[in-house]
Amino acid sequence: MGPVKEVKRKKAAKPAGEEFTKDFLVGLLRRMMEIRGFEDKVFELLARNVLQGASHVYAGQEAVAVGACAAIDQRDYITSTHRGHGHSLALGADLKLMMAELCGKATGYCKGYGGSLHITDVSLGILGMNGIVGASHLFAAGAAYGIKVKGTDQVAVSFGGDGSIQGNFFSSAANAAAAWKLPWIGIIENNGYQIWVRAADVYGITDLAQRAHGYGIEGRVVDGNDVLAVYNAAKYAVEKARAGNGPTIIECKTYRWYDHYGAGGAKIGVDGAFGLGYRSDRELRDWMAKDPIPRFRRFLVAEKVLTEQRADEIVAEVRQAVEDAAAFAKAQPLPKPEDGLRNVFAEGAVPLHTC
Amino acid sequence: MAKSMTYAILEGIQAEMRRNKLLTLLYEYQKPVAGGEKGAINLEAEFGRWRARFCAIDEQWIVGSCLGMSMIGVPAIAHIPSMTTFIPYELMFNHAGKLRHMTGGQAAFPMVLWADMMGRVPAQGGQHADAGLESSYARLAGLKVVIPSNPYDAKGLMIAAIRDVDPVIFCQYPMPSSGPPVPDEPYVVPIGEAAVRTEGSDLTIVGYAPQTVEIGKAVEELKKEGIGAEFLDPRTLAPLEGVMETILKSVKKTGKLLTSDDGSYSFSNCTEIVARVAEALPGTKIKRLAFPDAPAPGAPEMLSYMRVSAVHIVAAAKKLVKG
Repeated sequence: MGPVKEVKRKKAAKPAGEEFTKDFLVGLLRRMMEIRGFEDKVFELLARNVLQGASHVYAGQEAVAVGACAAIDQRDYITSTHRGHGHSLALGADLKLMMAELCGKATGYCKGYGGSLHITDVSLGILGMNGIVGASHLFAAGAAYGIKVKGTDQVAVSFGGDGSIQGNFFSSAANAAAAWKLPWIGIIENNGYQIWVRAADVYGITDLAQRAHGYGIEGRVVDGNDVLAVYNAAKYAVEKARAGNGPTIIECKTYRWYDHYGAGGAKIGVDGAFGLGYRSDRELRDWMAKDPIPRFRRFLVAEKVLTEQRADEIVAEVRQAVEDAAAFAKAQPLPKPEDGLRNVFAEGAVPLHTC
Repeated sequence: MAKSMTYAILEGIQAEMRRNKLLTLLYEYQKPVAGGEKGAINLEAEFGRWRARFCAIDEQWIVGSCLGMSMIGVPAIAHIPSMTTFIPYELMFNHAGKLRHMTGGQAAFPMVLWADMMGRVPAQGGQHADAGLESSYARLAGLKVVIPSNPYDAKGLMIAAIRDVDPVIFCQYPMPSSGPPVPDEPYVVPIGEAAVRTEGSDLTIVGYAPQTVEIGKAVEELKKEGIGAEFLDPRTLAPLEGVMETILKSVKKTGKLLTSDDGSYSFSNCTEIVARVAEALPGTKIKRLAFPDAPAPGAPEMLSYMRVSAVHIVAAAKKLVKG
């Protein structure tokens, strides 16, 4: 159990492995752009009061979801959080079905039962976006135990924010994963704020991955705005877990561009939410300067993986796909009201008591 | 010698673990071991430590991990001790009971929360002598709650709970080895069906778990006095619809309902049964007996004063029938 490792890089991480093909690298960029494009649209729909409910916008954190999800396979599992659109999209969730669910339509991923907070596609290995902070870690570690019972080499990855490690879900997950070398990878997306509370005001440590030591787990800290840094750390953890060498906790330092939920402090067509009171605009601007998407785009262009022209084309393609998804969602049917009584149990419906 | 509650339950789990090669049991200190005339059961020795695992004192892990593994198709049983029945409450409330609905039917938790319950035993005090927690679980959406009163029902309900694709809370109170003999083979007691323990036409008495012992004595006493009590054991507390059919059929016949509960007077399952009877059959004469809304005191003098016994049930039944 070594000390917490800062994965240090002089510049953007160097492609080293065989998997760093052109398609793979451009795929990472496209996925991040899809998430940003989707979240921009979500924000716009929220601001125009088209969307109801509490969408928790992921913009700014794309490199974490995309980097981590690129390190796992179709056979693996993830658990996600209230701020989970990015995790699902990073795994290849369909933009149209995502948007339909956000709009509460009968054809959305959860048939309108879930909404923004709970988009789930079990066929992609997503065991649920869970709106209770910290639960994602416990469910993934439980799935990791189940993997051991099955005797396969799958892994389970949980995403959780800086607020997800203090309640006892995380502690229970980490302790058992360490004790029995479960194939669990706990990703702490440290975006600096738990709802409207600054992490630095409620934790006695700065690097949250330090917690890993107390459980007997290797903890790593990475730049969460560098998609390859996240990928490399996740890849290392996944290979270690598949080989039976147990869990890893990876803290990704990043930043949330918008408010905890909703469209407060933001304007359509302008990135970021300003004047929120609990954080400074300067802090946001500093982080927006570290935007993971143009940063990776510049790197790919510099390394001649991609031309500026092709990158612009991808931006336009993604924008079109998002517009198509929004149009698709708008045209979809609403759920039948009486279906609210279904899916309580596997069979049948519960009785109605309004008359 | 008749099989004990624990032996009957473990015999059921053993049969299901042999049938389903993934079924897994996690527990704290309650080793899945029991001796009986038919031979000793030792689930860890038979199935290995991954499938029968003792854990740290961490109910959150035991229950949460069973939810996680059941989501990926590894059915699981989480066995937790009686004094910590509510520690995993949040997991059952916000996750096990809701995720199927929240995901439009995608998520499933084929798991059993095997919750030990202590009941109102003397000389323990407060935390180690509680009862009625099953009612708090039964009010949660998306969960099934079963509560056996004898070893036969315990084995059959445990097997039914394991085979059910929905999460089931299996409440085990310490009960005597009474009731029908327990077959060696696996069998199912269906979830959602009440048992008619004795038939009668003068009044209906409803109670479960440790109260069935007191009600059983009371029914015999009443018979001597010429009062025929129909004694119903719900066995399932949620969903209650199937059980209510049996109760309503009985109360329609007798016109009188007496419930007897080791749980608290307020907000209990018996309260719910009374409410449904009152709504469906206006004019029914009703009486509720229950433990006060108080923790259980340690000293037996205080405890036995507060707990419902056969004497109280006989008195209340006579008053309902004659008064």
